[in-house]
Amino acid sequence: MKVIALIAAIMTGALLIYGIEEMPEWGDPNSPASSHVSPLYIQEAIEKTATPNMVTAVLADYRGYDTLGETTVIFTAGIACVLMLRKKRKGGGD
Amino acid sequence: MLDYVIGKYNFWIYVVLMMIGLYAMMGKKNLVKKLIGMNIFQSAIILFYISTGVKKGGATVPILMGHAQGHGHQAIDVAGYLNPLPHVLMLTAIVVSIATTGVALAILILIYRRYNTLEEDEILKIRKDTGV
Amino acid sequence: MAEQFPALIIVVPLIAAFFIPLIGWWKKQLCYPWVVAVLVVTFISSLGIINTVMTTGKFSYRLGGWAPPWGIEYALDYLSAFMLVIVSFISLMVAVYSKKSVEKELPEKTVPFYTLFLLLITGLLGIVITGDVFNLFVFLEISSLSCYALIAIGEEGAPIAAFNYVIMGTIGACFYLLGVGYLYVATGSLNMADLAVILPNMYHSKIILVAFAFFTVGIMIKGAIFPLHIWMPDAYSTAPSAVSALIAPLMTKVAAYVMIRIMFTIFQPRFSVETVPVMTILGWLSFIAIFAGGIKALAQTDLKKMLVYILVAEVGYIVMGVSVANKIGLTGAILHILNDAFMMACLFLIVGAISYRIGTRDIHKLHNLNKIMPFTMGAFTITALSMVGIPPACGFFSKWYLILGTIEAGQWAFAAALLCSSLINAVLFFRVIECAYFKPMEPAYANDGGETHMAQRDEAPLTMLVPIVIMAAGIILLGIFSGNIISSIIQFAVPASF
Repeated sequence: MKVIALIAAIMTGALLIYGIEEMPEWGDPNSPASSHVSPLYIQEAIEKTATPNMVTAVLADYRGYDTLGETTVIFTAGIACVLMLRKKRKGGGD
Repeated sequence: MLDYVIGKYNFWIYVVLMMIGLYAMMGKKNLVKKLIGMNIFQSAIILFYISTGVKKGGATVPILMGHAQGHGHQAIDVAGYLNPLPHVLMLTAIVVSIATTGVALAILILIYRRYNTLEEDEILKIRKDTGV
Repeated sequence: MAEQFPALIIVVPLIAAFFIPLIGWWKKQLCYPWVVAVLVVTFISSLGIINTVMTTGKFSYRLGGWAPPWGIEYALDYLSAFMLVIVSFISLMVAVYSKKSVEKELPEKTVPFYTLFLLLITGLLGIVITGDVFNLFVFLEISSLSCYALIAIGEEGAPIAAFNYVIMGTIGACFYLLGVGYLYVATGSLNMADLAVILPNMYHSKIILVAFAFFTVGIMIKGAIFPLHIWMPDAYSTAPSAVSALIAPLMTKVAAYVMIRIMFTIFQPRFSVETVPVMTILGWLSFIAIFAGGIKALAQTDLKKMLVYILVAEVGYIVMGVSVANKIGLTGAILHILNDAFMMACLFLIVGAISYRIGTRDIHKLHNLNKIMPFTMGAFTITALSMVGIPPACGFFSKWYLILGTIEAGQWAFAAALLCSSLINAVLFFRVIECAYFKPMEPAYANDGGETHMAQRDEAPLTMLVPIVIMAAGIILLGIFSGNIISSIIQFAVPASF
């Protein structure tokens, strides 16, 4: 198992390093990630959402639906713990 | 070569972290160690995303200063603020990773209640002995 | 109202799930009717959506009114509307069925069970409906988290299986997330339609190649596609019966849907097929999966375990249909998503009913089951015939298209594998049918008094029987109307680039 794990880890790492070569320079303001969708968030957020914090504007407004999903994930985890860990009220302890 | 490594060192760091996490998840025998590996793995991805939001050259945190609502009509300099989108995505991903850890810990409690151990080989042995 | 169906189909089960703990706190018995009512609404919404798609063509729904590349949109085309109907119908049937089995298997845990049950369905619907790759990840995690917990409360060994699933599932989800990240770095967009426009110019890029590889591996883990299915047999066979009847047909099919989306909507076939050899690899993997699943299934005596290994082979069919990458093969794959969801759901429902009544799932202990549970066994026989591929039942038609697709692609080995698997299925199911119908009853069976000489008629309770019979009837109807389904929906659901 350890050998398989090592091979899997190395293969994943190799694949990722293979992809690094064409990655844009770190911190390049003109990289696609910073120039396609995100400039509009920076320019319009205050006007459209009246929120100076752009992260908040995107989190709660532009992509508010993701945030609904995020809260649902927490709710799911909470209920999951209730489902798994709640015991019948007769034994008392293990 | 050195420039090549240093220019993108954010990627190298996260690749290394990710390999450590992946190895721990698959290769370790102790279930808690697997879980810790999972956390390292998820943190690596979070670091990767955050690093894609960085802009060099004087960019600051994506919070507008001095643009009072209503009359902020002078054009906002895009290069002056970090890319907010990866931050948003990672807020969600952090929550997901915490929730996964929580559920996994609850499952570990179930396992511990049943077998009194968290070592994978010991559990397998117990299951073999009891014939299930 | 009608134009809000896309929002309702997610929001109604989501909000309803939040209310279940409150309802259960007030009156525990109300949880079940509440869940069924909610799923009826969901099913009606999905019918409304497919109706809109069929009359006006594909459309998108902007959440919060934000324009697509910036905000999140729902993309509704034939394929996603079709999947919505499948998911909501099967989950409705399983919900109707769940009453007695939950009362018996999890008497103390009804309330959180139904909460997670609805959340799981919400997650699956969300995966299907969304047009945003990151939003898909969020829904994937909602469904996975609820799935982990629902599996962990199963029988002996379930927590271990669930923990393995957590580890593998997280690797899968994280790989998917990495794929999203790489696409984002390369393009700056998260919207599927937008990505589809930007990507063709950069197919030579190594980043895109790596992203594609991570997407594929991540989805293979989540969808239990051979050889990354190793977590699945234990997890699905130890889960409570209502849970396995829900996740076994749906999780794998939804993952297959995501695979088709990524390979043929976000990427174009000319990338997925020509630039990378992934289709050849997937084709041969599914070739092995069909045999490995069948042979492993032959070795099982536990009926549920057997079904789980058959599921490995069935997922192999779908992947094979995708991998030949021509119109007929893909038609077969999409039709098989529908048919196999019905067949697998029906089989798992039947197994749940049998273990509810008889208390065992051992194939060799099912003597005289046709006398004890005639309707259930009738449904089982119909489904078995469909799995083997006898014409009036639906299994034949999807297999027919799959075989035609492999022949058109010139992959004779794949066509042979599909035919062989029919033979394996015939052996597998005849083994069970023989035990249930033709084996003389052993006197040892009479455990309730001693002198019982004829098996008493002891059919499954009505809430279990009705979904089983509906599903079995559905299998025949889908077979009879499969021509109509293909000509009115599936031929448009096949990605336009073919």
